[in-house]
Amino acid sequence: MAAALASRFSRGRSLIGSLSNAFSGLMNSSNGIMNGNILSQQQQRTFIQMGTTLKVVDNSGAKEVKCIQSLKANKKGARLGDIIVGSVKEAIPKGKVKKGKVVYGVVVRAAMQKGRVDGSQVKFDDNAIVVVGIKEKKKKKPEENKKNKVEFNQPTGTRVFGPVPHEMRNKKQLKILALAQHMV
Amino acid sequence: MATSFNRLPQALHMIARNPTQSSKKLGFSTFLSCAPSMDSSFSKLSLNHSGSKFGFSLDTKVRKEFIVRAEDNAEAEPEEAAVDEIADAEGNVEEVVEVGEAKPMRKPRIKLGDVMGILNKKAIEVSEKVRPVPEIRTGDIVEIKLEVPENRRRLSIYKGIVMSRQNAGIHTTIRIRRIIAGIGVEIVFPIYSPNIKEIKVMSHRKVRRARLYYLRDKLPRLSTFK
Repeated sequence: MAAALASRFSRGRSLIGSLSNAFSGLMNSSNGIMNGNILSQQQQRTFIQMGTTLKVVDNSGAKEVKCIQSLKANKKGARLGDIIVGSVKEAIPKGKVKKGKVVYGVVVRAAMQKGRVDGSQVKFDDNAIVVVGIKEKKKKKPEENKKNKVEFNQPTGTRVFGPVPHEMRNKKQLKILALAQHMV
Repeated sequence: MATSFNRLPQALHMIARNPTQSSKKLGFSTFLSCAPSMDSSFSKLSLNHSGSKFGFSLDTKVRKEFIVRAEDNAEAEPEEAAVDEIADAEGNVEEVVEVGEAKPMRKPRIKLGDVMGILNKKAIEVSEKVRPVPEIRTGDIVEIKLEVPENRRRLSIYKGIVMSRQNAGIHTTIRIRRIIAGIGVEIVFPIYSPNIKEIKVMSHRKVRRARLYYLRDKLPRLSTFK
């Protein structure tokens, strides 16, 4: 009986080449989804990890962000709906967020498929985030600096471009859903 | 399979009792034991007992081998009796068959390997009763109306081209691709899901592949559907 989902082979293009992530070898087999035994030449999309460049799809000022850290407890990296810390690599000249700033962003589109409870899966063609907070370089008490229990609910920008998945509702990003053009 | 059962009840009975032993003597002794019983009670139970693991390619070949085996046996008297029995048996087979068919037909035994297939078929039947699923193939442009538990007000509509269809019984899925708001989105739907309220095939595009993964590299224009 054919497997539900064809298994995927990595083609290298999706993994971040420069970094030697210890889990990159394991990722091929344990991708979080049932992998059938049928061999098919497929791209294996993986998590968003340190070094991943992501598009910014709001009008906060940043254009491109490079992921520094995924705030998810998962060692492997961030997925759709998770929050990441990133460094702004490219920004518009006059925006709230300038180049070189460290920002928090929520992943709204991921090239890696995300499974839903009803058995469906969704994947996008690119990786994109919405900026939800800017990290400040204050030298006050270390507790304040950490922002451990701060909720990242409020996007910095006022508009969101492109489709947004329903997963935002589960992640309590209701403002982003409200601003979205189209919900998948 | 049923007909072969009817034809050679005694042979099956023999083989069933001695799957591993190929010695002629032992085979013959069971034949002796079953020969008298054969005429009296043509019980289906004995056949059931045999299980379905033996290759029942019963032809005249087996009959001949059987007869040879009986003849080779050292014991002379029972051998002749057996040979006579065989002749009688083959004559009796037709009568026995008629007697057998008056009784209820034996149910085919379900093998372990078939279980999942049967369960899947049953589940699909149940799902088809609620909502029949049209024939969907790769290259169809379909519209799916989905009930999302989070968005209970309206049904979400997903339109796009079917990139692939993975058959897996009840979890048969189709992959729909579409350009939404400038970004390509691919969604995998299990077609027998109760959340899907309607699937409609809008049109069809001629494709020469079973899986249209090449669309990911092509212009967005090819994946756009109004």
